[in-house]
Amino acid sequence: MRILGFVISPLAALAVGIFFLGLTRRFMARTQWRYGPPLYQPLIDMLRFFTQKSVSHGAIFDLGVILSLAGSLVVVLFLPFGRICPLQGSGGLLVVLYLMLLAPLGLALSAGEAANPNSSIGISRMFALALGYEVPLLLIVLAAMTRYDTISIVEIVAAQRAAVPNLATFPLVLSGIAYLLILPALLGLRPFDVAQAPQEISSGPLAELGGRYLALAQIQNALSLFIGISLFVNLMWGGASNPLVFFLKMLVVFAFGLWISASFPRLRVEQAVRYLWRWPTLLAFVGLLLVVVIRR
Amino acid sequence: MSLPVLLALALGGSLLTYILSGINARLRDAIAVIASLTVAAAVASLYGRTVETTLGTGFLGFPLVLRIGPLSWLFAMAVSAIGCLSVIFSLSYMRGKGRTGFYYAMLLLVDAAMLGVVLSGDLLSLFIFWEVMSWSTFLLISTNGGPALAAGMKYFIMSITGSLAMLVGIVWIFATTGTMQFSGVAAGLSAAAPGTRLGVLVLFGIAFGVKSAVWPFHAWLPPAHSEAPSPFSAVLSGVLIKMGVYGFLLTMYVVIGMRGFLSLGWRALPVHTILAIIGAVTIIVATLIALAQNDAKRLLAWSTVAQAGYIFLGISFGTAVAVAGGILHFLSHAVFKALLFMAAGAVEYRTGGVRDLDSLGGLIKKMPVTFAAALIGVCGLIGVPLTNGFVSKWLIYKTLIVDGSPFLAFIALIGTWGTVLYGYKFLHNIFLGQLPEKYANLKPAPFSMRLPMVILALVVVLFGVLPGIPLAVVDAIGSSFGFATLGVIPGGIAGETGTINMVNIFAAIIVGVVLAWLIFRAGARGARVGQADSYAAGGPVPTDRYQYSVHFYAPLQRMLAPWLRDPVDAFYGGLGARVVKLSDGLRRIYTGLVADYVMYVMLFLGALILVQIVWRPW
Repeated sequence: MRILGFVISPLAALAVGIFFLGLTRRFMARTQWRYGPPLYQPLIDMLRFFTQKSVSHGAIFDLGVILSLAGSLVVVLFLPFGRICPLQGSGGLLVVLYLMLLAPLGLALSAGEAANPNSSIGISRMFALALGYEVPLLLIVLAAMTRYDTISIVEIVAAQRAAVPNLATFPLVLSGIAYLLILPALLGLRPFDVAQAPQEISSGPLAELGGRYLALAQIQNALSLFIGISLFVNLMWGGASNPLVFFLKMLVVFAFGLWISASFPRLRVEQAVRYLWRWPTLLAFVGLLLVVVIRR
Repeated sequence: MSLPVLLALALGGSLLTYILSGINARLRDAIAVIASLTVAAAVASLYGRTVETTLGTGFLGFPLVLRIGPLSWLFAMAVSAIGCLSVIFSLSYMRGKGRTGFYYAMLLLVDAAMLGVVLSGDLLSLFIFWEVMSWSTFLLISTNGGPALAAGMKYFIMSITGSLAMLVGIVWIFATTGTMQFSGVAAGLSAAAPGTRLGVLVLFGIAFGVKSAVWPFHAWLPPAHSEAPSPFSAVLSGVLIKMGVYGFLLTMYVVIGMRGFLSLGWRALPVHTILAIIGAVTIIVATLIALAQNDAKRLLAWSTVAQAGYIFLGISFGTAVAVAGGILHFLSHAVFKALLFMAAGAVEYRTGGVRDLDSLGGLIKKMPVTFAAALIGVCGLIGVPLTNGFVSKWLIYKTLIVDGSPFLAFIALIGTWGTVLYGYKFLHNIFLGQLPEKYANLKPAPFSMRLPMVILALVVVLFGVLPGIPLAVVDAIGSSFGFATLGVIPGGIAGETGTINMVNIFAAIIVGVVLAWLIFRAGARGARVGQADSYAAGGPVPTDRYQYSVHFYAPLQRMLAPWLRDPVDAFYGGLGARVVKLSDGLRRIYTGLVADYVMYVMLFLGALILVQIVWRPW
C-alpha cells in the first residue's frame, strides 16, 4: 500500500493540479463573458510543448528546471491526500517548509542563467513577494504546530479529526482566515501575479523557457497549486478520510482563490508586500498568540 | 601526540615560515602547508581522547593546564582543518603581493593561538592565548592598509574592551573559588551565589559576545571581514568568531554548569531565555541589513552575524536538541562560510579585486567550479535539505516549536527566507546573468583555490546526507554537559527527542530528480544558444547592458529602508568621536611650560588641603 502511495500521490496531485489550471482558464473566461477553452486544454498544451523545439542557455538552465519539478514532486510525497501519505516520519512539516524552497530556487537558477533581464526582474519580484507571504504563512504554520504540539502533518490531521469543534479548537480559525487571505499570493494568482506579469516583463522567469522547458515549468506550476491548497486543507480544515472528500474540500478553497483572483487587478510589488505584512500578518499573529495563551 | 608538542608544532610552524620567507619563497609556502597539514592530522589523531597535562612550572605561580575533551576536539579540528585549507588557498591568492612572509606567519600564529584557546584547561592560559589571538588577528585584518587599518582598529578597540571584561571576570572567579582550573572553578561556582554566577556570565559574555559578533557587539565584523585578505576572511568567519561560541559554551555549561546556568534569572524570564532573544534579534537585524549590501564580502560578513545569531539562539535556549543544533550549526557555518569567502576571494583574484555585486555577472561561463562551490555554499547557508545547514537549523527549529517558543521559531524561520533573498542575489549578481565583455577572457580559478573549495563543498553535502558523523561528536559534547543523549543514527537522529533521517530524504530527492529528468528527456531537444540570443521583445539585444542586477530587490529595499540602518554602529561611532574629542581637550593641559606644571601641582595640593580642612577624612 505504501509503495503504491509513492505512485498514486504524485499522479493524483498532477491530475488535480492540471484540472485546476484548466478550471482557472474556464473560470476567467466566463467572468469575462467568453466561452473559454475546454478543461483539458492545459494537458494538450503540455503535450504540445514537449514536441516543440526550444533553446537552452547552459547546464544550470536545464538543471534548474529539473530541480524545480523534482522539489515539488518530493513535497507532494510528504502531504497527506486523504489517507495517502507515502513519507510520514521523516522530519514532518519543517522538512516540507524547506523542500518547498527547491522549486522557486530551481526556477531562479534557471532564469538566472538565461541572462535575460525580464527573467531576473521576475525572480527578484518572486522572492520579494515570497518574503511577503512567508511572514504570515510561517505564523500560521507555527500556530498549527504549536496547537497540536507536533511537527508532523499526519498527527495534526489526526488531532483535528479526533477533536469535536469547540472553544479549544477555535483559535486556529483566525489562522485559517489569514491563510485564505494570502492564498492568491501563495499560488501566484492575480492580484499577486507580479512575478510572471506577461504584459510588463514578458512572463518573467518563463521568458526564455520554451518547448520541454515550458512544459516542465507548467507541470511544476500545477503541482504548486496542489501543494498550496492541500497544505490549507490538511492544516486548517482537518484533511479528509478519503481522497474524494479531500478533493472536494480543495475545490471549495480553490474556488475562493479564483473568486478573489477574478475580482482584483494586479498589485505592484510594494503594494502586495505591504498588504501581506498588514492584515494577514496581524490575524496570523493574533492567532498564534491565542494558541500560545490557551496552551499555557 | 601530546598537547604541548602539538602547540609547539603549531607555534614553531609560524616562526619557521617567517624565518624561511627571507630565504626562499617556494620553501616557505611548502613549510606553511606542511605545518598546517601536520597540525590538522595531529588533532584528528586525538579523536575520542580525554587528556589533561600540566605545563612545566606554570606562570606567576599558577599552573598552566592543557586539556582536550569532545568540546575542545571539535573546535580544534575545525580550527586546524579550515586553517590548513586557507593556507592552501592563499598560495595563489598571495602570490606577488607584498609582505607574504609576514602574512603566512601571522595566519599560522592565529591558528596556533586558536588551538591554544580551545586546548586551555585553566582561565589563565585561556586569557594568554586569547590575547595572542586578538592582536595577531588585528595585524592580519589591517595588512592591506587604508580602510583595512580603520577596520582593524575598530576590531582591536572592541576586542580590548572584551578582554578587560574577561580579565575582571577571571579575577572575580579566582577571588570566589581560589582556583583557575576549569574543573575546580565549576565545583566552586556551583556553590556560589546566583549574583556571582550572573556577574561572571555578563563579564565573560561581553568578551565572547564581541568575538562572536552577537548583537549589539557586532559592529566590528562587517568592515573587518570585507577588508581582510580573502583567505583570512574565511578563517575569520569560519572559525575565529567561533572562539566566542566556544567561550560561551565553556562559560555556560562548563564553568557555571548546566544547572547553574539554566536556573539563573526569574521564573517568568530566565537569563538563558533573554540570551536566546538576543540571538533572535541578531538574526533578524543582520539578515535585513545583508539584503541591502552591494559588496560581495560585506554581504557575506553580515550573513555571518546572522548565522552567529542562530548558533547563539541554539546554545542559549538550553534544551538538549537546541544545544546540539547550536554546536552543529557552528560546524556547518564554519564549513560553508569558509567556502563562500573563498569563492568570493577567487572571483576577486581573477577580476583584479572586484567585489562590487553591481559590476559583475555571468561568471558561471568562465569559473564553473567556483560557481558550483558557491552554489553549494549558498544552499548550506539557506539550509536547503541535503546540506549540512539544514540539519543544524532543523534541530533548532524543532526544539523551539515543541518546547513552546513559537515566536523565536518564527524569527529563525523568517531569517531563512531573508537568507534565500540575499543568497540568490550573491549568486545571481556574480555568476548568473550576462557576462560583461571585459571578462570575456577570464581564466578559471587556479587549482590551489579550487581544491579547498571542492573539499569544503563535498563536506557540506556529506554532512548534509550523513549528519550522524558530526552529530556523534556533538552528542558526546552534550552528554559531557549533562544533557540527555539524542540517539544518533547515520542519517540523523532517532530518539525520544525527535526523528529525522536525511538518508530517506536523500533517496526521495534523488528519485524526484531522476523522475523529473526522465520527463525532461522525453521532450524534443533544445538548441544551445549564446547569451546574446535572448528575448528582447522583438528588438536587438543590447550588448553589455542587458542585465538586471543593480538594486536587485529595489521595491523591498524602498520599503525596508528605515529599518536597514544600524543604530548600534552609529552609537559606537559617536562614542568613539566623543572620546577623541575629550582626549583632545585633555591633551591641551600639557602646554610644555614648567610654570604651568608647577601651577597644577600647587592647585592639586591646595585642593587636598581644602578637603582636609572641610571634611577631615584623613
